[in-house]
Amino acid sequence: MTIFNLPDLGEGLQDAEIVAWHVAEGDHVVADAPLVSVETEKAVVEVPSPRSGYIKHLLAALHQRVNVGAPIVEFDDGTHVDSGTVVGDLSAKLPAAAEPAPTQTSPATTASVLASPAVRVLARDRGIDLSGLSGTGPDGTITRADVERVSSGLVAGEQKAGTPQALTGVRRSMAVNMAKAHAEVVPATVWDEADISLWWTGHGDITVRLVRAIAVARAAEPILNAWYDGQAMTLRTFDRIDLGIAVDFEGGLIVPVVRDAGARDMASLRAEIDRLKAAVRARAVSVADLRDPTVTLSNFGMLAGRHAALVVVPPQVAIVGAGRIFQQAVPGAGTVAFTHVLPLSLTFDHRVATGGEAGRFLQAMIDDLKQSS
Amino acid sequence: MPETTLVQAINLALARAMTEDERVIVLGEDVGKDGGVFRATDGLLARFGADRVRDTPLSEAVIGGISVGLAVSGFRPVAEVQFSGFIYPLIDQIANHASRFRTRTHGHLTCPMVIRAPNGGGIHAPEHHSDSPEAMFTNIPGLRVIIPSSPRRAYGLLLAALRGSDPVVYLEPTRLYRAAREAMEDDGKSLPVDQCFILREGSDVTIVTWGAMVVEALKAAAEWQAKGCSAEVIDVATLKPLDAETIIRSVKKTSRCVIVHEAPLTGGYGGEIAARVAEGAFSSLLAPVLRVTGFDTVMPLPKLENRYLPDAARIGVALDRVMAYA
Repeated sequence: MTIFNLPDLGEGLQDAEIVAWHVAEGDHVVADAPLVSVETEKAVVEVPSPRSGYIKHLLAALHQRVNVGAPIVEFDDGTHVDSGTVVGDLSAKLPAAAEPAPTQTSPATTASVLASPAVRVLARDRGIDLSGLSGTGPDGTITRADVERVSSGLVAGEQKAGTPQALTGVRRSMAVNMAKAHAEVVPATVWDEADISLWWTGHGDITVRLVRAIAVARAAEPILNAWYDGQAMTLRTFDRIDLGIAVDFEGGLIVPVVRDAGARDMASLRAEIDRLKAAVRARAVSVADLRDPTVTLSNFGMLAGRHAALVVVPPQVAIVGAGRIFQQAVPGAGTVAFTHVLPLSLTFDHRVATGGEAGRFLQAMIDDLKQSS
Repeated sequence: MPETTLVQAINLALARAMTEDERVIVLGEDVGKDGGVFRATDGLLARFGADRVRDTPLSEAVIGGISVGLAVSGFRPVAEVQFSGFIYPLIDQIANHASRFRTRTHGHLTCPMVIRAPNGGGIHAPEHHSDSPEAMFTNIPGLRVIIPSSPRRAYGLLLAALRGSDPVVYLEPTRLYRAAREAMEDDGKSLPVDQCFILREGSDVTIVTWGAMVVEALKAAAEWQAKGCSAEVIDVATLKPLDAETIIRSVKKTSRCVIVHEAPLTGGYGGEIAARVAEGAFSSLLAPVLRVTGFDTVMPLPKLENRYLPDAARIGVALDRVMAYA
């Protein structure tokens, strides 16, 4: 008998929700074949089988939250000689009368949610979990109208307006991480504006310029591209910038990471940012793309706002915010000139970085953003 | 302009092809003196002579064998089988020879022949006269399978078949021979034999059909329009090779699909189309893909024939079912 425990999914995630079993009790599974899909705070992750063998028991139910390290599957080592293939072992398996009756459907194929493919796509796009919904279509099938109702804030069927709903998925993750950041980090923020008149003509790739400016600023003040472990009181700075970019989508907020952002040229940066955004919006972003940012950029000016006191998510030390571009009157010699400025916010963890370091970091960004190209 | 019936359109296409290409040879039971059991070859013997319009013995196997021999010898035979229920002895020649010449000879020889046969029921005929065996032919590689549903398409598709270099099984909806009529020109224009025809545009459901069922599908679409259901109607016309792209594009637009055919349900060509839709338009589907078909039984004799054949009312039941998935 072998027990398989929910493996460490990285990112310091502590638990995950079982969203689909790909095997049923009595099934034979080969090593590395999909075993179970779990939803962490950030993404749906498929966990492969660690070995070949028969599944004796599934130790966690669909939609149950399971802690990392908790048992989820028991493999059967007793009656079956594991040949590593399905075909080779069938004769050994068939006589075992205690196995589940063939008419039993496996959890993996039991649709706990009745909805057509098009409705599932709609729900996914809206970030709506169908499992809590009751459908008004044939046989209780969830319809587009049911999803629209929930999406627009109205409620379907027996659900009453104002009934507390458990946070799930991305939003739950945000609640956990923000509370942790608030409890741990000592934030301080500096604000300023960068004159971008030399290159801003009403349009231009702001995000890519911001990434380059961060790379220049890191060279000036490396301490803001770092991880700080508050318990051990250790600081680790990085030469390489793995830049988290906050992406707003209908399901909430996700921060995919552009690897080695400082070393990329503008075309490569744009391509990678586009890829990550598309993956986020399709809810297909991989865990690898979410792991271990060293500093974060939030380009919230696309929505609204000039400056913001941002939230530093530990172990990171800093987060840069870019607000909405506006025109500023600059007094000259008896005249007034108008320039386009990009408002910048830099929030840093004052436990480990100083105001001077933050100021020099911000000034280096401003100087780079001023450049005509 | 006088209206032309579907069978007259076939006669026009045959005469046109025989005029423009002397390799075209018509053969079959009673196609000469009698002008064919449905008069599709009427007048051809007098116009083109007994060398090119040949009455054959009562043997479909012989008709098939002669056609294959003519085709690989440089002729373009077009053989008539009196009813599709009589076509089974000929399948050996089609499946084992006609469809294989291209691959058998590494492309040196093709087998340009057309087997024509009336297809389907609805004319109160005896046993063997009402079958719809199209799915058998679609499962044979190397064949084109065509079923027209209007005089104009019958004319244009048959001309394309006669001018092409492939073996073609050309199945003519029996009950539309004289029921389908429209004004058309004998202009020698062929139609593509690898494309579906969108006969009616709609936004809520795609009805995919062919042959005599096209008429019922259009009727259902018109009736259900009043109920607020906007149906797109696609005449597949050339079943093989299948223009799945047009069907999938339509279902992506409408999100629902109903397939209608006269042949029995199980193993019918509707299953193939449903699978293509599932593969190509999965995430667009709001409702299960439904099939409205004949039943899994031998086509009944006249008294029960109308119970067997799908009609606008039965198609409407399916439309209601898919529209319930809002």
